[in-house]
Amino acid sequence: MTHVHPEMHERRILGTELLWAFGVGIFIASTLSLVIFTALTVGMNPPSNVERIDPKTLHLSGEFAEQNLGTTVEADGTVTARVIATQFMFVPRCIAVPQGRRVTLRFASPDVIHGLLVTGTNVNTMVVPGYVSQVHTEFQKTGDLLMPCHEYCGLGHSEMWAVVQVIPESEMKPDAEGRVSCAQR
Amino acid sequence: MALHPDPTSAAADPHEVADEVNEEALAVVMQTVPLGAGVVAGTAVAILVLGYLLIYLLVFVPRGVVG
Repeated sequence: MTHVHPEMHERRILGTELLWAFGVGIFIASTLSLVIFTALTVGMNPPSNVERIDPKTLHLSGEFAEQNLGTTVEADGTVTARVIATQFMFVPRCIAVPQGRRVTLRFASPDVIHGLLVTGTNVNTMVVPGYVSQVHTEFQKTGDLLMPCHEYCGLGHSEMWAVVQVIPESEMKPDAEGRVSCAQR
Repeated sequence: MALHPDPTSAAADPHEVADEVNEEALAVVMQTVPLGAGVVAGTAVAILVLGYLLIYLLVFVPRGVVG
């Protein structure tokens, strides 16, 4: 049995710990660098729109009045979908969007905090009363995507979901007011 | 009914008493044990970080910017 001086023994353990700390430091630094790099080069940031809206009156007039909800193709061709998240449903329950085109999704809540995500995309945001949540995305494939509420909002939370219907550009036929509705099936 | 006496304590039982530690033998063991623990923990963390990176680069980034 080799004789090891206790001090030597302590130093070896300290060395192992420092090596571990160094390795973990490298992992953390590389992960943070990657996040910062993608944020600076491709603008990969979380949704950070800050826009106030009065939750008590948002349904009466203005952008989130009933006649303005759903998908609208503006005169300049931009596509915007406006949705109210309320206990316990999204209004409208189906949102039609074109494939392969940048879409702006805007959400507001008149009651409590909700949240949502669209399956298979990076769309994921909270909907806080008093603020408009806004995300942009481009849907790559046609089909129906589930959009559930992902922030517990009350007893009916599990029933709160909507569908994002991604349709081919050729089927994107807005009416005179630029509105597009989901295809009836 | 006869009362049972309290069971005798097993604390002094040779099986329950910790072995005396030979500090020198411990030092020898500890020379290699931290390395093994480091390899196991390092592999586990490396797999975790690799999984994160793969999901970040192959799933999250291709889905595009939403902000």
